[in-house]
Amino acid sequence: MITPDDHHREHQLTIFVALILFSLLLILIQMWLCFGVVENLIAGKPAMAIPAAVVSLICFCVQLWMFIGIARIDRQV
Amino acid sequence: MDQQLKTDFPVDWVDDNYVSRRDLFKFLTLVSGALAVGSAGMAFVGRSDRETLNFDRQLIGKVSDLPVGASQTFTYPRQEDLCLLIHLSQGQFVAYSRRCTHLSCPVDYQAQNNRIFCPCHNGAFNEETGAVLQGPPRRPLPKIVLEVRGDEIYATGVTTRSEIEL
Ligand code: FES
Repeated sequence: MITPDDHHREHQLTIFVALILFSLLLILIQMWLCFGVVENLIAGKPAMAIPAAVVSLICFCVQLWMFIGIARIDRQV
Repeated sequence: MDQQLKTDFPVDWVDDNYVSRRDLFKFLTLVSGALAVGSAGMAFVGRSDRETLNFDRQLIGKVSDLPVGASQTFTYPRQEDLCLLIHLSQGQFVAYSRRCTHLSCPVDYQAQNNRIFCPCHNGAFNEETGAVLQGPPRRPLPKIVLEVRGDEIYATGVTTRSEIEL
């Protein structure tokens, strides 16, 4: 029999999985930017290095924000 | 015994799961942070690449010795840094490092084809900008900053990568 507690846990698990997938997506974007910048630097075109660094920092901030949120939720549980 | 174990290690399975999730997120955040720091570092490297490096002024040739379409070699800023001075059109001089940006073969000026050519792997560079025209090189030739004073041509610095108009 499914109790409300099980239901709640399942719901929480889904949210966690979604957050982890989103977090992996952010890391993939950052890796893609990193490789793109390296390729361009080698080719002597550093123009995209600064915008890529800004986007990468934004991704990191989102990541950090999620981590702080999850740590806070964990502390409450 | 069981009770003793539970007292000594008071983490049950549910809590253990939570710790793992948090650890995973911590790991992902660290990876993300490392990538962000790496990108910022590369942006810094990209910025410093744009700089012109100034060296001591050095006399490298005379206008009267170099007719239009001719080239001559010189070394700058060190004795082992081979360079190429080219007289493009009346009064317009350019100079580049002679070291190909692919695998460092010495490049030569081909006035008839308006390009600087590397015979090792058929690489070619634009005579006016040093940008890659063909072949395996991916970076332009470093450009030597010139100063023409009367009949004398001086080298004053070296410009790398992006400051060279592509
Ligand atoms: S060394 Fe110049 S093209 Fe390879």
